[in-house]
Amino acid sequence: MTDLSLETAPKREQPVPGEPENWRRFFSFSTDHKVIGIQYMVVAFVFFLIGGFLAMVMRGELITPEADLIDRTVYNALFTMHGTIMLFMWTFPVLNGLANYLVPLQIGARDMAFPRLNAVAFWLVPVFGVILMASFLVPGGPAQAGWWSYPPVSLQNPTGNLINGQFLWILAVALSGISSIMGGVNIVTTIIRMRAPGMTFFKMPVFCWAVAAAQTIQLFGLPALTAGAVMLLFDLTVGTSFFDPAKGGDPVLFQHFFWFYSHPAVYVIILPVFGIFSEVFPVYARKPLFGYHFVAVSSFVITGLSAIVWVHHMFASGTPGWMRMLFMATSMAISVPTGVKIFAWVATIWGGKIRLTTPMLFALGGLVNFLFAGITGIMLAAVPFDIHVNNTYFVVGHFHYVIYGAAVMGIYAAIYHWFPKMTGRMYYEGLGKLHFVLTFAGVALNFVPMHFAGLMGMPRRVASYDPEFAYWNVLASLGGFLLGVSTLPFLLNMISSWIQGEKAPANPWRAIGLEWLVASPPPHENFAEIPTVVSAPYGYGKNEPLIASQASTELASELS
Amino acid sequence: MSSVNLDQNLNTAATVHAAEHHDEGEHRLFGFIVFLISESVIFLSFFVGYIVYKTSATDWLPAGVEGLEVREPLINTIVLVSSSFVIYFAERFLHKENLWGFRAFWLLTMAMGSFFLYGQAVEWAGLPFSFTDGLFGGTFYLLTGFHGLHVLTGVLMQGVMLGRSFIPGNYDDGEVGVAATSLFWHFVDVIWIILFILIYVWQ
Amino acid sequence: MNIRVLLRLAALAGIMAPISLWIGQLSYSWMPEPASAEALLVDDLFSFLTTLGTFIFLGVVGTLLYSVLFQRAARYDEGDGPPIEGNLTLEIVWTAIPIVLVIWIAGYSYKIYDEMGILGPMEHMHMGEAIAAPLTTQASTEPEPIEVHARQWVWEFYYPEAGVTSTELHLPNNTRAKLALTSEDVLHGFFVPAFRVKQDIIPGRKIDFEFTPIREGVYRLRDSQYSGTYFAAMQANVVVESPEAYQQWLHDVAARSPQPGLNPSYDEYQVKVENRENRPGWKTVTPAPAPLVNFPGSPELPVPRL
Repeated sequence: MTDLSLETAPKREQPVPGEPENWRRFFSFSTDHKVIGIQYMVVAFVFFLIGGFLAMVMRGELITPEADLIDRTVYNALFTMHGTIMLFMWTFPVLNGLANYLVPLQIGARDMAFPRLNAVAFWLVPVFGVILMASFLVPGGPAQAGWWSYPPVSLQNPTGNLINGQFLWILAVALSGISSIMGGVNIVTTIIRMRAPGMTFFKMPVFCWAVAAAQTIQLFGLPALTAGAVMLLFDLTVGTSFFDPAKGGDPVLFQHFFWFYSHPAVYVIILPVFGIFSEVFPVYARKPLFGYHFVAVSSFVITGLSAIVWVHHMFASGTPGWMRMLFMATSMAISVPTGVKIFAWVATIWGGKIRLTTPMLFALGGLVNFLFAGITGIMLAAVPFDIHVNNTYFVVGHFHYVIYGAAVMGIYAAIYHWFPKMTGRMYYEGLGKLHFVLTFAGVALNFVPMHFAGLMGMPRRVASYDPEFAYWNVLASLGGFLLGVSTLPFLLNMISSWIQGEKAPANPWRAIGLEWLVASPPPHENFAEIPTVVSAPYGYGKNEPLIASQASTELASELS
Repeated sequence: MSSVNLDQNLNTAATVHAAEHHDEGEHRLFGFIVFLISESVIFLSFFVGYIVYKTSATDWLPAGVEGLEVREPLINTIVLVSSSFVIYFAERFLHKENLWGFRAFWLLTMAMGSFFLYGQAVEWAGLPFSFTDGLFGGTFYLLTGFHGLHVLTGVLMQGVMLGRSFIPGNYDDGEVGVAATSLFWHFVDVIWIILFILIYVWQ
Repeated sequence: MNIRVLLRLAALAGIMAPISLWIGQLSYSWMPEPASAEALLVDDLFSFLTTLGTFIFLGVVGTLLYSVLFQRAARYDEGDGPPIEGNLTLEIVWTAIPIVLVIWIAGYSYKIYDEMGILGPMEHMHMGEAIAAPLTTQASTEPEPIEVHARQWVWEFYYPEAGVTSTELHLPNNTRAKLALTSEDVLHGFFVPAFRVKQDIIPGRKIDFEFTPIREGVYRLRDSQYSGTYFAAMQANVVVESPEAYQQWLHDVAARSPQPGLNPSYDEYQVKVENRENRPGWKTVTPAPAPLVNFPGSPELPVPRL
């Protein structure tokens, strides 16, 4: 073995344990997973605000039937950028941030498996974010083909420039893919290889299970999108004919490439949120997670099924009947593992000693919203009904209920729940509850009317519409503005609490988990000594130790 | 009392660190395998695209193109596939700590990889169709080009590993770099075999 | 599980079932008045799904609400709940319930799909099966389908039996409507909400499409697959009239000389070009000019019927 000084020397660029809190590290190429986690989350939230602003301009346009507020090209650019930003710049990065922060702590590791790769993966996010935003400045404006970028519309290039919005869009998405693959390799390796002694897979918190399942999807799904994007890029720039029907290409093949990844991508978003639910409910209901094994394994069942459902996005796009029936069956099958999870959470809460803190409220709200979205999801899987509502606002309402109603609310729950751990400060409960009420009401007001507009036959992506849809659109627009307002108490809460909130103890929620055994915020490299795990997670009400007693920790408590 | 304990803690921390460092190599290899599996899906997608186009396109070959010459690519294939065995022997030599044997066989692998790239370039230069000539031209250059890029990456990685072999004590922490490069090379080989069957054999 | 629990559950189901059925009936009114044979079937399916969905939603949310309202921790209660980690029987039951439900829903959906049969011709259209033959070389025994041409951003209809073109789709009532969908540029989607039918139109292919209108009236045809700048304006009226009126219309219109059809997107584009300074926006693909047709149709919006 080499000696100690050589071992540790290259790692000293980072803040050493015990070094006073230094805000500058958040702007540096830090390789500490906790710093990177927070960097991810903050950058992602900035883009969430940008994407939300675009959405509010769109709702402003849609508050009247005519296309009067902004030009149609601008509207089309806005919904393209809104979707792209919200998926690639907000939900993926913020969940990667949470995974980055929590996974090493929860499995008892000092850091991720590849800290430098981790930092590179993060720093790509602002890079492709800037590329994407820069497309507002090129002549011809940003991509206007929707976040699906279906050819041939995405290949139409009215300005004739080589560097156009669509080109920058593909570039940004490709970089995002590279970043996500790096993240996926890192997280999967970390979870499989870096668990603390005694932490078998079935002693691992469900959040880690869910993250592993989600990142597995990134690993097998993203390459397909990359392949499609590369071919689209060649079609756009050098004039190949892969997807251009005018030259013999097949535009439907692109849809297959796209949805093979982009449907599972929804599970990349929702699975970690399921993990968050599974972490939050036991803490605030003071009960063990009901059916832990079922909940843990069902994540991977969802991962498996997610690879064979993508055609349900294409029921109306020239898909033969046998394919429609096959993918209807697989899509509906997804409701089995998700149903199991929902019942397990309800059973976890049932009979507990419930404490309605902000994270609990957000998790409960997210669960209810997810249930609603799941029910409309099964409706959408039924081919005959889907034929009617496919590409209408019903679908828009459905997936916003998934992404905003369930995923974003779950993310909020996670941010509040682990805020004391991350910052060492407590947030303000009152502002948190106000934030919850505004968000929950905003989601309902914004997205429920969309379902009705869709049922009546309002297509998605329209800048103008027939007056018959006006009623539901006015309601949705008001809801959209309410959601915009709902971020204000959140921002106020986060910023003021971080600066001057009450100091948080190591375990303010009396939660069980390795991350709650270390100080808030955790020291550099997390654990003075790697703990040995002896019991399953969520041992509420059982009075058993989570880890084997350590000489050093005992001594430390003796000394104090 | 506390300082003694602190020392002890530091010592345990040091051994733990050393053990973790030893694991790092294995983590890297594991991570690399995960990456390769993921990477293979890109090729898989291109292959599926190729099969769909070939079976469904109305005019598959561009006007005036009869098909592909198989002889030279076959020689290329044999060279590339044999290089997989050569690199295996190189690894064996390294395992037995015979550095020069390793370097000789490693260099031979690089030479064979470069020959393949050269052969590919010669073939490209002589073809009567281009990247933009219909679906056949598009998929042909896309597949061979993307694969060629991987061969080039492999040769460059091998170059780096060769250079590193001259650093004293390079293999004290294990041979992960060499193992990964070799694995990558086998991967590139397998991909080529599938590609060869799809493009040249199935005409 | 004792009798009292079972009775209580049965009582709750007894309350939830009528509510679900009521919502299920209500759901018929959320969609436009059905104007095709297919629409009736789809509405039945939707009502069924809504009923089932409402029941599940009420059950789960009701349970959650009960917990949240009545099982709160007392202010200074630091204790934990009962350490129940699972119940294998219960877990197996609630895995089985969704499986059964899903099979039920999928089976019912399949039945409806089968009955609709609108998409029968789709079976023949496999991926990449380009239709190279001219559109007119159809089997002569069948009546020739009405040709639907989509281009950025106008619909044009051609009725081969009378050699008539229009920018308003006319269909005879209670007759199987047979359409041949083609696109000249990008993907479009043929979508008439009142008929509950939708089909993407893929350039380079001819897609056969069928359904049966059953109610006279004027409906809206909308482009359902995003097709670029003026996508939202790409709408047309669909007039369903009695077969006699339809034949009369074909006959009358055939005599008319061609005139520019309805094309709101091109008109809007002209206004934009004239006021370039006043309307900021990016460069767009130029809309196709109005096609010359025998019958442009009415620019009036039909009165929506719910």
